[in-house]
Amino acid sequence: MMADRRRINGPPGGTRPAVFASNLQSGTSATDRAQRQRQPSELRKIFLKTGLIPTASGSSYLEFEPSASLAAARANPKSLIPPSSALKLACTVHGPKPLPRSAAFSPNLVLTTHIKYAPFAARQRKGHIRDASERDLGVHLETALRGAIIAERWPKSGLDITITILEAEDDRWWGSAPDSHDASWGMMNVLAGCITAASAAIADAHIDCLDLVAGGVAALVSDDSASTSTVAPKLMLDTDPAEHRSILSACVVAYMPARDEITELWLKGDSSKASLEDGDDRTGHEALIDGAVDAARGAHAVLAEAVRESLLKTVGQA
Amino acid sequence: MSNQRQASSASQVPHLSPAELSYLYSSLSLPKTPIRPDGRSPTQFRPLTAETNILPGTNGSARIGFADGTQAIVGVKAEVEKTVLANETLARNDGGAGLDRGEQEGSAAVGGHGSWVQMSIEIPGFRDDDALPVFLSEMMRESLVGAVGTREASDMAGGLKERLVINKRWHWRLYIDVLLLSQPLAYPLPLLSLTTHLALLSTKLPKRKSQGEEDPFFDDDWAVAEYLYPRPSLSSGKTNSTGSSFVRPPVTLLVISVGENIIFDPNREEIAVADAVLAISITRDSEAGTLKLLSIRTVDPPSRLTQPGVPNSENVSMLGAVAPTEDVAVLNPATGEEEVPGVWRPRRGGVKRSVIAEMVKTALKKGGVGEEVLEGLEGVEVS
Amino acid sequence: MATSLPPVAIPGQRLGSIVAYSAGPGTHVQQSNIYASIAGPVVVDPAQSKTQTKATLRVSRILSGTPQISPASSAPIKQKPRYNTLPAVDSIVLARVTRVQKRQATVSILVVLDETSATTSDPSKLASDNDNVASILTTAANPENHSSTDELRFQALIRKEDVRAVEKDRVVMDEMFRVGDIVRGSVLSLGDQSFYYLTTARNDLGVVMARSEAGNMMFPISWKEMRDPVTGAGEQRKVARPY
Repeated sequence: MMADRRRINGPPGGTRPAVFASNLQSGTSATDRAQRQRQPSELRKIFLKTGLIPTASGSSYLEFEPSASLAAARANPKSLIPPSSALKLACTVHGPKPLPRSAAFSPNLVLTTHIKYAPFAARQRKGHIRDASERDLGVHLETALRGAIIAERWPKSGLDITITILEAEDDRWWGSAPDSHDASWGMMNVLAGCITAASAAIADAHIDCLDLVAGGVAALVSDDSASTSTVAPKLMLDTDPAEHRSILSACVVAYMPARDEITELWLKGDSSKASLEDGDDRTGHEALIDGAVDAARGAHAVLAEAVRESLLKTVGQA
Repeated sequence: MSNQRQASSASQVPHLSPAELSYLYSSLSLPKTPIRPDGRSPTQFRPLTAETNILPGTNGSARIGFADGTQAIVGVKAEVEKTVLANETLARNDGGAGLDRGEQEGSAAVGGHGSWVQMSIEIPGFRDDDALPVFLSEMMRESLVGAVGTREASDMAGGLKERLVINKRWHWRLYIDVLLLSQPLAYPLPLLSLTTHLALLSTKLPKRKSQGEEDPFFDDDWAVAEYLYPRPSLSSGKTNSTGSSFVRPPVTLLVISVGENIIFDPNREEIAVADAVLAISITRDSEAGTLKLLSIRTVDPPSRLTQPGVPNSENVSMLGAVAPTEDVAVLNPATGEEEVPGVWRPRRGGVKRSVIAEMVKTALKKGGVGEEVLEGLEGVEVS
Repeated sequence: MATSLPPVAIPGQRLGSIVAYSAGPGTHVQQSNIYASIAGPVVVDPAQSKTQTKATLRVSRILSGTPQISPASSAPIKQKPRYNTLPAVDSIVLARVTRVQKRQATVSILVVLDETSATTSDPSKLASDNDNVASILTTAANPENHSSTDELRFQALIRKEDVRAVEKDRVVMDEMFRVGDIVRGSVLSLGDQSFYYLTTARNDLGVVMARSEAGNMMFPISWKEMRDPVTGAGEQRKVARPY
């Protein structure tokens, strides 16, 4: 027996809360897929605040507004399982600080990014060691930020950006089979949130950057497949994957409005069958990128307001 | 290891002086007619040697070597595995809440799953959990398993993951192991992607003798094994007689923009001065016969981490030697930055949407780079 | 022109055209316009009659409520504009000695005293990194809180030949610095990958705070000696001239 006998151990394997069939049937609405209540181009509200962590040189906290069905389920729970989740994450910036001794001389600011899901962030528990998807997200974030900062103003120094994701977006509705559309669409929303939050934290740390860089997501979704499968996919901004039956293609951008430039673009899926309005001769991927840029513009408005607010507060105090 | 820190970025910092960088940039950004260090045209690939089926222990394998000596080997192995249906799906079907939906999801479960394809990349000098190998394998895997028309997929026309389904309870699991044999001299993506493409093209799965929902058993005869990506001759050409419109594995192209020019398959020196670097995954559209886009990812251009040059007017050792009017900053129309001609400045900022659109268009257009690459790969003798 | 300037700016905000202003710290130029690159109050430094024709636009890191009147009008400006709060060549820094070797002393930089703050008499108006110099120094001079935070500070070397201007070949490092001393030094160069190089070869540079072997704060009695007020014992140091 390797178990520790000095304390009462939990069961060796995981357990699930009991879900009774009566419970499921009584609240049919709770087990239905969440429906998107927003217009296709309407974004979720974002809560963003900077300077919450006093020991870091810059920090920010970001939260997406829960979807209408999630808010309803929280107010009046019918099922143990929430219909969807909303993004919550905290970002800290440490530095500029000296590079580790092993590092070579750099005339520029050296950026390192760490994205970590809290173990309880997703429906499936995440381990404490960063897995491939978290490292992948870190590279995306690094690309997005490195284009925005003015690295040559901080020679010989490093900047660490650490993001903890407290609640992550679902990749699909929890009731769907895991393979109905298995690509990790939720990761794209998480990345967009990370970009916006990190940008606020960098501004809070007074690191020179070209512009506040904001993240935005757009997707081509084909819903109501029950009636027809011939309905062409529609372009939606800021999609919550839990609200859609099938996402064909999605795109996340990091966008700087002052320069009209994209520092990070991640597009995947089949975007060739988009149905656009008549007279719109853009190709699917161009429409998708434009949609994501529009979403990022919305996030940028929140971002600029949050940075200005914390600046005015500090100036007022001094 | 000295490049440990650089490994954290997706790119490697080149060891070129600011003067060299500036020279490269100005010759690559000449309007309409970029001059590449090796004399290629902007859309031309480096010459390479390729062979397939080199490893007898695999289901499919390939080796590609570039002229600069970098080589990659890819081995594909397949295993039969039991399909585990998600607990939620089963629970829901048992609960009987919405029978029709349960049915639909049951059929969706047959559609295959992205996690059935496993990809690992080994690059000398990098740990396998370093950012570069992780980023590269995610990038190539996501286009491989990419959602290629799950719904309208008829028989075998779907993406890779649909083809891995044996029946409702069994599937193939595919392991793609990529080995780079030398320290990467350039960003290794084109090499790895082309080699993976060839290896998948040559991958064969044993012929199934069982029927329907039986536990699968297979023909021992390797000679009758079937290609994972069917050949034109084997599938009797009932729908597609053109030959070029068969399903092919995707291929990921590395594209850079320098000034107003768009350059494919950059070598190490060229990528060091790129304004923007994009990895574009394309494949053949099985219905239309044209190319279609599967994914785009930006890659962090190493030019952002380069050492800046010092204009003569600011150089202390040149003080008084030059008239201050001699080097005047001018506006670079592509980036909008003020630059002194001939003095290198690390790139900053992002990429314009019009440039991205142009890059994708060049890759996808009929008779463009994408078709050329795919045709070239099909020309490799797959024995 | 000045009326169109916002009182505070956030990164990416357009401030003005390079026709009217020249870009100072905290700003960058894009498509012939000056944009803010950090968040902070917008400051206009009037043009220097001799060298410049345009007023300089900058965004201040110092978040004090009163607008900073740059001392440019009184002091002749010869230094380059400072784009960051890092130690630069010719910066005056305060550093704590962490190791004394035969040929060099290793120090970790605590505070960069940049030009604007050095001329300001009120220490509360320093930049956020440098606020409360007194408390940083007292905690750093306390022998109990060493080591843990040194990894996060910029390291620097004082080489034997940079300790003083006279009798350079007679320098014995043990008689110049001891571990734990607080040194005022000037940055010679950005150095190699891990160290800056400092010099104390000026009268106003050298040890400013030191404890004796008995652990008491000492006071300077000459340019090369300090004394313990309790035991009365003297110790040798390269002492900075007190103001």
